[in-house]
Amino acid sequence: MFYLQLRNELWKLFGKKRTYIGFAMFLLAQNLISMGFKFTTATRHMTQFLDNNGYLGQSFVTALSISVIMMMLIAVFLVPLYSSLVGGDLVAKETEDGTMRMILCRPISRLRLLLVKWLAGGIFSALLAVALGLFGLLFARLWFPWGPMFVFAPEQSIFAIFDDSQGLGRYALAHLFLIAEAASIMSLSFMFSCLNIKPAAATILAMSFVLISFILQQIPYFRDYQNWIFTYHLNIWVFIFEEVIPWWRIGQSISILAAFNLTFFIVGASLFHVRDIKS
Amino acid sequence: MKLVELSKARKDFGKRTAVLDMDLAVGAGDIFGLLGHNGAGKSTAIGMMLGQVWPTAGAVRLFGHDVTLNRQQALQKVGAIFETPVFYDYLSGRRNLEIFSHFTGPTPAAKIDEVIEWVGLKGREGAKVRTYSHGMRARLAIAQALLPAPELLILDEPSDGLDPEGIHEMRQTIHRLHRELGLTILLSSHLLNEVEMLCTRIAVMNQGRKVFEGGLAEAKNAGNWWRLATSDFTAAAAKLREAGLVSAARDGQYLALAENRGSEEVVRCLVELGFPVYELAREEQDLEKFYLALMEKERRQ
Repeated sequence: MFYLQLRNELWKLFGKKRTYIGFAMFLLAQNLISMGFKFTTATRHMTQFLDNNGYLGQSFVTALSISVIMMMLIAVFLVPLYSSLVGGDLVAKETEDGTMRMILCRPISRLRLLLVKWLAGGIFSALLAVALGLFGLLFARLWFPWGPMFVFAPEQSIFAIFDDSQGLGRYALAHLFLIAEAASIMSLSFMFSCLNIKPAAATILAMSFVLISFILQQIPYFRDYQNWIFTYHLNIWVFIFEEVIPWWRIGQSISILAAFNLTFFIVGASLFHVRDIKS
Repeated sequence: MKLVELSKARKDFGKRTAVLDMDLAVGAGDIFGLLGHNGAGKSTAIGMMLGQVWPTAGAVRLFGHDVTLNRQQALQKVGAIFETPVFYDYLSGRRNLEIFSHFTGPTPAAKIDEVIEWVGLKGREGAKVRTYSHGMRARLAIAQALLPAPELLILDEPSDGLDPEGIHEMRQTIHRLHRELGLTILLSSHLLNEVEMLCTRIAVMNQGRKVFEGGLAEAKNAGNWWRLATSDFTAAAAKLREAGLVSAARDGQYLALAENRGSEEVVRCLVELGFPVYELAREEQDLEKFYLALMEKERRQ
């Protein structure tokens, strides 16, 4: 039964056009960025930067390097938006439309219903991250040659180069950890979605939470408390591009994100459980 | 066996009391009508029965199971329809039926086919619900309520928003559900003539309180007017008044008996006075008259 209910939830989720907004915008953004690199002077600046650091810059203007640049920007700005959009819809949209009332005259516990919905949201988050990786690589490859990868992330003090096979492996692994970011933001939005509010309000609340968390993270005087800040743990995928992967740091953040997710789910489920569902 | 039982059920929304100490019992085989004006508390009462609205006090039981404590057991054999049937418009009718029925239990494809045929949606089940007319949506709502296999149907304003043809079709369907499938039906409505044509028992709610519960016949006979057919109604009525048997007369044929006076005393008196009695029968009032009289009485109180 659980499988059938999860399958139904996925039918509902992927039957809606708005579920695909994120995927469509990835296509648009990645094509724009790829063409931007191809038809502007952007690659010249990139080559110069690498030349100045003692590398043969031109050899790193590759599909893998461009894919990573696209990933870094999209993962920070677009993934949170589309994850929260879907998470905010999961409960609040059904309540707003009235289908929640139809469901809740059935003998399913509210906890189980939310668990099924949350899992469907998790599957969406995973697909979003995978799509981002695959589309990025595909569109970059249309315009740029295959070759080694160059990664530069000044905030995390990452400057690394990898040969093509190692780079591809790191790229795939980074997207695996990007799922944690997408799923955590989806969970946050899901929690707000359990309140008696409109789906758009749930999405806005989640995005506000993420932005406020990000602002707190950027204030240098709060460094001592950064472990408590949600967004500090979201970008673990960036560390996959360090030459020596800091697994302890990634493990720590993954554990804290798991705790955040569990908290969001428990708070959302508790709030939803005590609610009266009326027309 | 009582399929639905409310004992002193109460629901407060903040300072507002939506349902106050409501007792209600629906037996197997009934078509039970819950009547009341908009905001009387019908939907809240139904919400409590379905475990969607948590009672502030009291108990709500379906099939003997407490809905608050044991919701899954209580709702296992229940189907429900609400005033405006809402579906996943972007999915097919059949897919909607699968989705809703799987929240109750595994439902074989053959059972879904059978129900689709029963409600008359065969051939259209594969179309997206957004292409359905209002009547087809109503039929789909009935189909989802019939899956997998309920014994009790709870219908909240099932005819609301339907055109006269739709209302007629819904009425016929409810009769069929009762007759052919042997379902017990509880429906809420403010359409008095619909309730009159459908229900065997009724309860009337006013401002959150139940003010009447009983058989439809009992409600119709609740008035105290009797129709008298005799040779000279005016003279007979005057004599009966003098004898203290009648308190009022109207329309040249109706008498209101005085308090604690019976029809046999009236007949005896008329015969003794030499009036021929062709007919003396209690006037059966329609549900509307009963309802309005009840509301008027409530207002006075």
